[in-house]
This record gives sequence, structure tokens and C-alpha cells, in this order.
Amino acid sequence: MFESFIAGAGLLFDPSKVTIVFAYISAGLFLGMFVGALPGFTTLMAMAILLPISFFLEPLFGIPFLIGIYKGGIFGGSIPAILISMPGTGAAVATTFDGPPLTKKGQGRKALEMALFSSVAGDTTSDIITIILIGPIAAVALLMGPPELAAVLFMALIVISGTSSGVFVKGLLMLAVGLLLGLIGQDELSALTRFSFGLPELESRIPLLPMLIGLFALPEIFVNIEKKVSQFVDASDLQIRGDRLTWPEFKRCIRTIARSTAIGTSIGMIPGVGQVVAAFMGYAAAKNASDHPETFGEGEIEGIAAAESANNAVNGPTLVPLLTLGIPGDNLTVILVGAFIAHEMRPGPQLMEQQGPMVFAILISMIVANLLFLIIGYFSIPFFAKVVTIRKSLLLPLTLVFAFAGTWVFRAQPFDLGVLVFFGAVGYIAKKLHFDVTPLAMGFILGPTMEYSFGQTVILAQQDFLGYVVLERPFAAGIMLATPLVAYLMWRRSARLRAEYGAE
Amino acid sequence: MADDLENNGSGETALKRKVNFNTVAAVLFIMLSGLLFLLIPTQIDKPLIVITGSQANMPAELFPQLVATAFLILGVWFFMKSFSLQQSNDLLALDKEAITNVTVTLVMMAIYVPLMVNLGFVVGSAIMMMAMSTYFGNRNFWLSGAVSIVLPMAMFFMFRRLLLVELPPFPIDIFPLTNWSLI
Repeated sequence: MFESFIAGAGLLFDPSKVTIVFAYISAGLFLGMFVGALPGFTTLMAMAILLPISFFLEPLFGIPFLIGIYKGGIFGGSIPAILISMPGTGAAVATTFDGPPLTKKGQGRKALEMALFSSVAGDTTSDIITIILIGPIAAVALLMGPPELAAVLFMALIVISGTSSGVFVKGLLMLAVGLLLGLIGQDELSALTRFSFGLPELESRIPLLPMLIGLFALPEIFVNIEKKVSQFVDASDLQIRGDRLTWPEFKRCIRTIARSTAIGTSIGMIPGVGQVVAAFMGYAAAKNASDHPETFGEGEIEGIAAAESANNAVNGPTLVPLLTLGIPGDNLTVILVGAFIAHEMRPGPQLMEQQGPMVFAILISMIVANLLFLIIGYFSIPFFAKVVTIRKSLLLPLTLVFAFAGTWVFRAQPFDLGVLVFFGAVGYIAKKLHFDVTPLAMGFILGPTMEYSFGQTVILAQQDFLGYVVLERPFAAGIMLATPLVAYLMWRRSARLRAEYGAE
Repeated sequence: MADDLENNGSGETALKRKVNFNTVAAVLFIMLSGLLFLLIPTQIDKPLIVITGSQANMPAELFPQLVATAFLILGVWFFMKSFSLQQSNDLLALDKEAITNVTVTLVMMAIYVPLMVNLGFVVGSAIMMMAMSTYFGNRNFWLSGAVSIVLPMAMFFMFRRLLLVELPPFPIDIFPLTNWSLI
């Protein structure tokens, strides 16, 4: 693994490519912060709409570009949260407790800089932990054969579906819908066509990219257009005033940042919990540990550090189950799966073996992204503060045009535009009826791999499936047996965290 | 008699309170399961050669059958659970403005597809952006005109020159794509 790490560093810092990688990461960060700073425009939407760009770039450029959007988007949401108490993304809700009071006291600049520095500190630390952890976990994952892979995917799908929304059975039903959609087209094992209804377009399966853009970006657009508001806020509310953050002030928060980073990193490894819960937990832990808890909510700079370092620390660890086992932990990593698959890098146990240096290059690029994030964020905070004033009536049509263009360039087929609109409508209706579409996307992506691994297990079993799995592959049998219990425990924990910290 | 009517009345009210959109969704999932079981025999190709013995593949019908069974079991579970769920149907809560806006956007999207395919990406997108921004309250026509023309051109250029992929050219096929690459 260490050789792969060194090779990955060499790949990333190759003099002929390093400037381009930096340029794409910077572009991703800039776009992520831009979208994150717009209330109602989520990081998820930005990643879904800009996903096609990454398809046509080398993996070394395209995936770090998306990671830049991911990181920038999570931080961008905190800018309007601090200035006008309007969180750009859900992850920034906890930042609204102390951000606006600090702005009212004339310390908006200090609060924004603390948000930036604590976000970078939390993110960088968790990325380093991710790089350290990923090697050993991948080494264990490599020992898995088709039976174990099928069992792990089964467990992961059940657990993620159960934890993704408040009602276990609704998540499972959406997973079943995803699995059903994944069955349409040619079966990978026997090359037989299923549920195509004679349509040649369906024989080659439902296209992934239009589906992802439709499910994750269009519903956000529909929600935004429900009310005709041509402008978000007045520019006069967005003045950045006050002194800069000082070293003693930052030093006072280091313990809080370390605590929140540990919380965010742990939350990142649990599927389906996410940044919102991490930010609330980090905030609550800081308040409980403080000598002056009464100042929290009244404009306490430590409150900003706690929430921001925790939500950004989630980013890195979510990639551990994705890259080692092929399991995306949340809807943002589902989009990353789409990018990996487009580059013929199917996340899973074999990925580290086949493309170890590339995986490490991408992981190291996350740390590079944090350094660029610090520079870009520091100088462009005043610009992103003004982004909130951009007219919604101009941004929404542009977002829609991007969604259509991105879908078209995929295969240049009008059928794909129909798929985009269909899944946009499905996503919108699902949102309104409290069905989470993340299990649907995961079932669609992982279902065929699970079926393929299961099919290989059937062949390996030579007509004695039960005997083979129980006696020769006890690890796979153990995972299957443990799935209901693990799913129940994870669901209970996730439900408790959601209830306690008010995440949707 | 009066008591009976009262009881019936309250019983019906209680039932109405319990039956909700989740119950309806559960019934639809159970029906989907039945539909899948009906479709499986006709909508899955049959193999030309049937391999038997130890090298036999997993039948292509197995996973669809498992998914259909999952719909049935989960649908029944959801049906039972739905009576105790207290979730609002946000589709019904949409006001007239929201329904109009979403419908108008869907219509614009439907019109945008043939516009983009036939008139080209830049012209089709400019028309759609201008119409949509005007509908959503923008009255600065110089600004929306400039944005509607410049941004689709920039996107066209980015996809064509930077990412080397094609968007529908403008207008129809009169000008070859290379004209735009000179931008």
C-alpha cells in the first residue's frame, strides 16, 4: 500500500499535470462555494449538475474537481448563515446559532474567518485519518471473494436504506425500486434482456447520468420555483465588518476544533448520518465542555469553530466505505460513484488492487484541495457574501440549461432528456411524500454488482449453495445472518441522533 | 340507534384519520409486486442454450422474483405501519402559485427539448432562459438578454473546446460546428 501511496503522490505531482489538477480543484472549490452560498441551492445539486464535466476529463482532473465542489459547498453554506442567518446548506444550520449574533456585534469578518480556518483544520485532519485508514481496510477487503462481496453489499444496502430516512420501511421500498430499475436491460451474467418492453433504448439499461441529475438536481430546482421571488436578499445586509481573527482567538478554539473533528470523522464513517448531525453534535459537545455555556447562542466564536470543523470533518471518512467496499455512505458520495464508474473505476475491493496509485492520488488531492480552499476562501469571502444577491430568476434557468446540456453530452440522445425529466418528477414527488431517493440510486448502482457477485457464488457453489456458503464461506454467512441486527441497531442509533439533533 | 350512528360516525372519522397517503402508497407497492409477477414470464428473455449441472448459471428470473417478493413483504409491512405514521402530504399542501410555477416549468422543459435539438443549443437555451427568467419576475430585459445569450455560448464553447464533446449546433446544419470553435 505504501508503494501505491508514493506512486499516487508521483502521479498527482507529475510536473506536466500538477498545474491542471490545481486549476480543476480550484474551479471546483469556487463553484462549490458559489452554490453553497446560495440559499436553496445545495451542494448535492451542484455536484449532480456538474458531474458531466468530470466525465469528460481524466480521472485525475475530474474526480478532484468534484471533491472541490463537495468541500467548497459545505463551507459556502456558512457564509449566508453567519451574515444573514440563512444557511446556504443544511450543514450550516448549527452555524446560525452564533454567526448572526456575532455579525450583529460587528464581528462578522471574525466569524467568517473562524468558519474558514476551522473548516480547513477539520477537513485536513479527517483526510489524513482517511488516508491512514484506507490502506488496512482495503487490504482486508481484498481478501473478499464474490460471496463476501455479495453479502457486504446486501448488508450495506439494507443499513443505508434503513438509516437514510426516518421510516425504515420507506427506505427499504425505495431500495427495492432502485433494484428493480437496475434490472432493466441486459443482465450482466447471462446477457438476457429484462423488462425492456421492446424499447431498444432500455436494452442498454437506464442511463446513470441523466438519472442522477434528475433525481438529485431537478427536485431542488422545482422546490425553488414554488415561490416567485426574483431576489434572495438586499445587498445592504451583506456588509462584512469588524476586525480580523487573531491567533490567540484561534488558539483558544483548538481544543474545540479537535473534539469536533473527532466527532465529524466518526460520523463520516457511519452511513446515512451526515454533516448536519455532525455539526449539531460538535456544537452540543463544545457547549457541554465549556466553562461558559451561557455565551453559546449569544455570539460565541467557539460555537462557529465547533459546528464548522465537525461538518467538514465528515467529508473525508465518507470515502472509506466507498473506496474499499464500493458502498456510498450518503447522497453526495452516490454522485462520486457515478464519476468513478464513468472513468471505469468501479469502487470496491478490487479498486485499490487495480488502481491503487490513482486512488491515492485522488486522496492526496483532497489535502491539496484543503490548502487551496484556505487561500481561495480567505480572499473570496467578500465575493461569496454578495452571491446571495444574485437574482433567482436568472440562476434557475441557467441551472436548468446546465442540467439539460450535461445530459445531452452524455450520449447525444433525446431519450436521455426524457429520462432526466422523468426522474426529476419522480424525485420531486418523492421529496414531497417523504421518500428518500438515496436508497433508490444506491440500489440502482449497486444492485447489478450484487446480483453479479451472487451469480458467481451460485456457480462456485456447484448446486450446493447452502453447504458452500455455510461451510466454506462462513464470513459471508455471518454477514448475512448479522444483517437484520446490524440494520436495526444502526437505524435505532441514526433515528436517535436525528431526533436529538433535529436533522431531516 | 342514535348511539350506533354516533359510534359509526366516530369510527369512520378515526379510520379517515388513519388512512393516509402512505397507506395508498403501500397499496400501490403491493399492486406493483403483483404486476411484476405477471410480467416476469413475458418480459425476460429465455436462454437459447440451457446449461445444466454444476456450471449452471443463476436464472435471470431469480433476482426479479426476489425484488417482486420484497415489494410484497415490504408493501404489507408499510401498509400496517402507515396507519401510525404522522407525515404530511406536501403535494396536497402545494398552493396554486406553486402548482402553476412547477407546471409552467415542466411545459418550458418540454418545449426546450425540441428547441435545443432543432434550433441548436445556443438559440434554444437563450429562448428558454429569457422566457423563464421573465416568467419568474425578472424585468431587466437587457440583463436577462445578455445572460441568456452569453452564458449558453460560454457553455457551448466549454463543452466543445475544453471537454471535446458536442451539443446540438446552431442553427440546424447550415453552419458546421467548426464555426463555433473559432469563438
